[in-house]
Parts: sequence; structure tokens; C-alpha cells
Amino acid sequence: MDRRNFIKTTAAAGASATLAGCGNPETQLIRFIPEEPLFPGIATWKPSICPLCSAGCGLHVRVMDGEAEVVRNGEKGLLKMGLAKKLEGNPQHPISHGKLCARGQAGIQLTYHPDRIRQPLRRTGPRGSGPFQEISWDDAMADVLLRLNAIAAADQQKTLGFLTRRLRGQRNVLISTFLKEFGAPPATLFEVFSDDVLREANRQSFGFEQLPTFDLARSRYVLSFGADFLGTWNSPVAHSVAYGEMRQGRPGVRAKFVQVEPRMSQTGANADEWVPVKPGTEGILALGIAHVIFKANLRTPSAAGRAGDRIDGWNTGLQAYTPEAVEKRTGVATARIERLAREFADNSPAVAIIGGAPLAHTNGIFQALAVNALNALVGSVGEEGGLSFTPHPDTGTAQAGRRGLRELAAEILSSSSSPVQVLFLNDANPVFGTPPAWRVAEALAKVPYIVSFGSFLDETSLIADLILPDHSFLESWVDDVPESGTALSVASVAAPVMRPLHQTRSMPDVVLDIGRQLQRPVVLPWNNYEDMLKAAFAALADKSSNWDKILENGGWWSTASTGPSVNPARVTPAAATLQADPQFDGRAEDYPFHFLPYASQAFLDGSLAHLPWLQELPDVISTAMWSNWVEINPVTARDLGIAQGDAVEVRSVHGTIQAPALISPGIAPDVVAMPVGQGHATYTRYASGRGSNPVSILADLTEPVTGALAWAATRVGIRKLDNAAPTTPLIVFAGALREHEERHR
Amino acid sequence: MPHRWGMAVDLDRCTGCEACVVACHAENNIPTVGADEAARGRAKHWIRVERYWEGEFPDVRLKFRPVLCQQCDNAPCEPVCPTYASSHTSEGLNAQVYNRCIGTRYCANACSYDVRFFNFFNPVWEKPLHLQLNPDVSVREQGVMEKCTFCVQRINAGKIAAKAEGHEVRDGDISPACVQSCTANALVFGDLNDPDSAVSRLSRSPRGSKLLEDLGTEPKVTYLERDAWHDAGDPRRG
Repeated sequence: MDRRNFIKTTAAAGASATLAGCGNPETQLIRFIPEEPLFPGIATWKPSICPLCSAGCGLHVRVMDGEAEVVRNGEKGLLKMGLAKKLEGNPQHPISHGKLCARGQAGIQLTYHPDRIRQPLRRTGPRGSGPFQEISWDDAMADVLLRLNAIAAADQQKTLGFLTRRLRGQRNVLISTFLKEFGAPPATLFEVFSDDVLREANRQSFGFEQLPTFDLARSRYVLSFGADFLGTWNSPVAHSVAYGEMRQGRPGVRAKFVQVEPRMSQTGANADEWVPVKPGTEGILALGIAHVIFKANLRTPSAAGRAGDRIDGWNTGLQAYTPEAVEKRTGVATARIERLAREFADNSPAVAIIGGAPLAHTNGIFQALAVNALNALVGSVGEEGGLSFTPHPDTGTAQAGRRGLRELAAEILSSSSSPVQVLFLNDANPVFGTPPAWRVAEALAKVPYIVSFGSFLDETSLIADLILPDHSFLESWVDDVPESGTALSVASVAAPVMRPLHQTRSMPDVVLDIGRQLQRPVVLPWNNYEDMLKAAFAALADKSSNWDKILENGGWWSTASTGPSVNPARVTPAAATLQADPQFDGRAEDYPFHFLPYASQAFLDGSLAHLPWLQELPDVISTAMWSNWVEINPVTARDLGIAQGDAVEVRSVHGTIQAPALISPGIAPDVVAMPVGQGHATYTRYASGRGSNPVSILADLTEPVTGALAWAATRVGIRKLDNAAPTTPLIVFAGALREHEERHR
Repeated sequence: MPHRWGMAVDLDRCTGCEACVVACHAENNIPTVGADEAARGRAKHWIRVERYWEGEFPDVRLKFRPVLCQQCDNAPCEPVCPTYASSHTSEGLNAQVYNRCIGTRYCANACSYDVRFFNFFNPVWEKPLHLQLNPDVSVREQGVMEKCTFCVQRINAGKIAAKAEGHEVRDGDISPACVQSCTANALVFGDLNDPDSAVSRLSRSPRGSKLLEDLGTEPKVTYLERDAWHDAGDPRRG
């Protein structure tokens, strides 16, 4: 017996003596002995999966030995362990191709964040006031079980709620199964920037309720309607890898890229031609382009098949969408519409993309269906250089009886006794990310007991009664089934790359434990999440891959594309007449500007604002750090007497916020834009009280078919705040080569 | 033949995603300085993505340009250093020897590219953020100038690995952190003394130019200009 095995054996004996009866294997000492030896100064690489956005990039994590100060069972100590040092893309992974975006690179700070919740917390003061007490896992589990046993004893199982960011893979299976077995309704999903409108449109047009995958590398013409596909939308790393090839990867062939949007995004900055358009009229422009294509006999309407049938008047040549009429509605000149149409039809393969703000209008479905029809018309669906759908994805949506957060909040507010007695919160911050009219904070205040799996105290976790902190992704078993970004069938999985730093437990294992320990147990067929993953991957068809090989690769993926392009089996409902024109909140006379909140390059929807590297990352358009701002066209700013950095008040029907002005040539004169992400009341030492939150002044307008928030449909007024400095100043990254004036240096 | 490390930046590929910026922070133990110090112009980004507006709305264009130390052959930062902390290595890197640096900041004054960063204070990593620090890279203290090294720790590791395996360093074996993360493969790194390396081939591109090249600094970073699209009827189109 060598030394390592000796320690393992004795540790196991000690663990079983002191921790007997504790069901979670991660609390047992044996887990703290590394499976493989680590040599000082020698790095090893382990696969993992980036959880920060819905793309699901495969990672390689650089692990080296180090010493961490840890607390275990009330005692402080120094633990020699493998520590994650750097995240890189997994070169074999079909989504990330060895690359990783800025946010993914910063994801390592989630694990080492100084304000991570280190052990379970029980609320001691009034809700939302802050005081929490650190308690043991045994006490915490007893608290949850007491509440769940009480609602089960009263036959009120349906009053258990689960509010989460969209889950995929086995986490989705586990939570769905647990809730069903317990007798609770399906989980409520919440994301600020939801893609539900596009999923629904793709279901209607193509039979796939999922986000599309684009074959940019082989495309010759890319026409994007507002999609920030190289920055924050869908699968940015996969898109960027392909974009590089589209530009310079083919000798003699370089695609044209046209971006249609009222505010120049990071993606739009890369376009060969940038086409500003009135907000919410992107779909009308798409149909104007289709009209020209019909008129010039470049394609016939029937070429679009079912996707064309979804559009009123498509098969009769879209008579209402003459270039002249479209110019009036969109602001894009007739000659330009005609030229874009010819270019789009002539340069095959061509692909049109829509995402982000154009779908966040009351006419979102119409806009998406119009662009879908345009794709079908030029034959880009399922073809090389066009768009396709990742086979066997997990979109995490399909589940009957799922309530949206808006409905749930309304239900709670309208009943005398809350229909949700116990609420689990996982990776969602709706208090920050919903418009005031949803009254989410007020609704949550009526829920008697809230349990959060959060790792950080954010606005929503702050009102929880109990916090059961999850491991970071580097400390957990992780898996994912990407929805888009590749033509291959992909299921990623990875083991923990390091031991837990704090006394946290993996959310899936806690849920399994809770199920076992209930008075009326919900016994699921897995001992722990690792077993569940092993079982799921054993069921994969490919017999050539065994579990060890899959873990070494970071997942399983097919070698060739297998998916059909259009799903003929699914029947779509009859076409309703859709509103083509967008509606806005606020009268134009009182609120003269369209308000465009957008996913920030650093923080996405604000969930990453607590990472110091991302706070200090200069935004690529504004070069601003540690701040947020309101983007104003130079002409508008001059008319209103606003200069760079001035405090500006942004006012909608629903509220008022202030932010420093950023004078930007890349925005239409009747539009003002703000990045979402700052303005957290509480979110660790790095993000608390910094800037303002544009979501807090949004109107409660929705896209009627899906009920998704129309976050781009609010109108605002702006004015300079005289004699006032911005509460959070605009900080730009000074440097001799940049245009900004240097600050004192 | 000794190596001569250089980089090519294809601006037609660069999307402005800034993966390079955070990758560099993670690799090189670059501290964040916080909002107050950042407002004083003391934020450290060894690589940054500059952006230039052209034109006015609606005919407006925005161009990105990642800027890092250009590793000049005729570097203005080197002769001004009284302690030889800024010095030229045999492989053409503009090295900064931290334990020679006495913080005169002459080099930052002389640098034409604004890529040198001074430590006005000791760096702070609030625990346990320090557990992420890369043990291959030293942490710089107060009073010391720091700058891009082309990830010299990775260059050295690559050379040692090649020697251990008994072969020469091959093109592509060594990638600085920015190059490895670059999502659109806009950044290419390699040996300019190897005429067949990817970086040598790109550096000869007709789209190529050097940043502020008329200053005579002889940078080893070549920028390839953004390309134009030509319509189907255009004879220039391939």
C-alpha cells in the first residue's frame, strides 16, 4: 500500500465514523483526496462546460496544485488541492472549437469570488433587510423538510413552486421529475432576454421549436435583423469562429454582411453595410425585400413553402409591401430595398438572421415569421451556408401546464392565500429583471417560504428565507445538450475539476437528498447526480464511446450531421392575422424617444455584473468600465444641450432613472439605448449600487402569442439634469491612441 | 536560427468580442484596480480593443483594432530606461525586467502605443480570488511598470516541451492567451524568422500595415485591413 492509498483508506474510515448518516458523498472526506496525483507546478487539463449563457461551450480547465484556506465543520484549515487556474475552449467541442468569449474567460471568478455564500444561510431579520445566520447543512435540510412535509401533510403539494433559468440536460430531467413526483406544477422559467418568440416562430415556419444554427462559414450573404450574434445572442463563440471563416477562410470568396438595426451593436459594427431602421419594422423590411424578389421574378412565392403560408398575402405577391410603402414604414430608401433584395437573391447561399430587439416588440412573432419566410424563399433552410436545426436538442421548454412568471405573480397577488407556499429559486433574479408592473417583489413577499440555491446575495436571494448555496460549475458534475450552434448532435458532460472551496452542495444532489428524506419520500432512481448522468449517457446510441472516454472528451457528439431541415410531421395551427406594425407604450408627444435596453457585452442580462474582470472590461463600443450610460445621437444631444458624461434623466410612463450620457454616432436620433446589467441594489461588493437598471422603467407590453416581454417597446423622454453629477460617473479607458480626452493621469 | 516572435491581426476577422482582453487578465495576473483608480486612467489592459468611428449617422462605420505591445525592433521604450529594465531579448521581445525597474515611467512616456501600465499601488486580489493566480507569471508590485510579454511564460514552456520531445518548435505550438482565445482567429502568433509560418505569410499580405509605422519603431505586429465586398458582377470578385 503506498502513501496515497493509505491516506484514502484511513480517510474513508474516519469519514464513515464522523459523518455517518450524511447522504451526500461530497461531504465525505474520501472525496477530498484527489483521484490523480498533482505535481507542484505541473498543469493538467480537465474538460468542463461553461454555464454563463445558453450556448453551452465546452471548456478545458487548467488545474494546478495549490493551497486553499477552507472551513470544514467549523474548523479552519489549509487544504492542498487542485485549483482551476484558467478556462479555455475545448478544441474538440463542436460549439466552442477551442475558443472562449470574454464572459466565459471571466467565469472562473464565480468560483473564487470573495462574496460567495460559503454555507447555508437562514434569514434572521425582516425579509429583504439583509441579516442572515450561517447554519449547518443538517439544520438547513431540516428547515426545508419541515416546510415540504407540512404542505404534503395538508395535501397541498401543488403549492410547491420552482423558479429557474431555463434548465437543460439532466438537470431539467431531474427537476421536472422531482416536481412531478412530488405533485407540484412544472417549474416556472425566467430569463430577461428570452428567445421564446423565435422558438415559437420556428415551430410555425419549420416545425422546430428551437433556436436556429447558422452555417456562416459557407455563406455568401448574411442579412441580420438586429441579432447581436457575434456578441451576446444565441451561440456567440460558434458564430464568431464561423464568421472568421466567412470573411477570410475561403480564398477569393468573402461574404457580404448586412446588419439592420437602429443602434449599432458590436455585431453591427462588423457589417459591410449598416442599415438603420425604425424600431419594430424589421419584419416589414424583410417582406419588402421578398416583394422585390417576387416582382423581379428571382424566386416564386411557392418556393417558401409552409414558411410563406404563415404570412398574410405572401402567395399573392405581398402587394402591400411595395418598396415605396415599405420605405414609408421603415425609413429605408426604396433604391436600397431593391438593391438589398437583388443582392440577397443573387448571392447564394444567403441567410437571414433575426434575434434580440426586433423580437421584443408586440409584433415579434410577425417579424420572426417574415424573416423565416425570407430564408425559405431563397432556399437557405437546411442547406449549406444557410440555417439548420441542431438535432436532438434539449430546449427545456416542452412541458404542459408551465406557468410564466408574469402569470404566476398575478395569480399570487390576486389570491388571499398564496397559491405558492414554498418556492425554490435557482439561478434567476426576477426582482432585478422584470418591469415594475409585474410586481414580482410584491408577489414574492406573499410567498410564505422561499428557498434559494444561489451562490450570491442578489435582489431576489435577499428575500429568501433559506439559502442552500450551490457548488460553482467547476466544483460540480455538469452536463448540457446545446440547442443550437452546431449541426451535430451534442451532449456535453464533465466531472468536477476541483474540490468544493466552501461548504456548498450541488443543487441536483440536494434535490435528490430532499426527495429521499421527505416523510412521503420522492424516491428517484438515482443515488446522486453522477449516477444519473452515467445512466443517461449509457443510453446513448453510440456504442463506441464508453463513460471514461466521454468524460475525457467532455461529452459525446455525433460525427456527421443527422438532422432533417424541415420537420414535416408536426401540424401547425391555422394562421392568425398578425399585426405587422409594432405598438409602443407612451405617447410620442410626451415620450419622444424609443428606448432600447440591450444585453451588455460584459454582463448579458446583469447576471455577470458581480465579476470584477467584467466590470473593468472596457465595453467595446463605449470603452466604459464600472459604469452604465445612455447612448444618444450627437444631433439629439446637441438639441437638448447634453454633453458626454452629463447626468441625464430617462423617464417613461413607469419610472425614472438617471445615467451619464454617451454621445454615439451609431444610434438613430429618435432612439436612446442603455445596456442592461448595472443598477443592482445588491449583488456583491463589485456590483452593488452601481449605475441604474433600465428594466426598472419598462412597460408591461408583451408579444401576445408567447406572452414574452416586449422589452424594446417602451418610449421615453430624456433631459439633462442641471447642476447634478451622475450618481455613477462614466469611466472610460483612457489611452493616448483613443479619441476620448484623457482624464488626469 | 533564433526565433523572432511576431503577430498578425486580421481586422477583417476581428469582431471586437474582447475575449483577448479577459484571457490576458487571467493568464498574466493583471489586477483590477477598481472604479476610482480606473477613473484616474490607471486600469491595466495589456491588450485593448480600440474603436474608431467614421462618418455620421446614418452613414456611420465603426472599426475595431486590438492594440497590444507592438514588440518594436526599434523600441522607443528601451533606450530611455536608466536601469535597463526595458530591454530587448535575443528573440526580439521588448522585455520588462521587474526587479530592475525603479519606476521612472520614462518608458511609458516614450512608448508610442500607450501599452505600458504602471503599478501605482500594490495589486489586490480579494481572497480567495488569489487562488486563480497563474503560478507561471510573477505578480508586479507597487512602483513597477508592466506590459504585454507575448506570454513569454508560454513561449518558454513551448520551447522546453519541444526540446523534451526532441523536435524544433513547430508553427502553432505556442499561442499567447489572447491568440488562443480569439474567437474569430483574427490573432495569429508565430516565428517571423520562419518564412513559412502563418504569421510570416500573413505579414506579407497586401492588406498589411504597421501601427504608426512612419515613426520608425519597426513593430512586429502587422495589421491586416478590413476587406471590401464586391458584387457578383464586379470583376474584382473571386
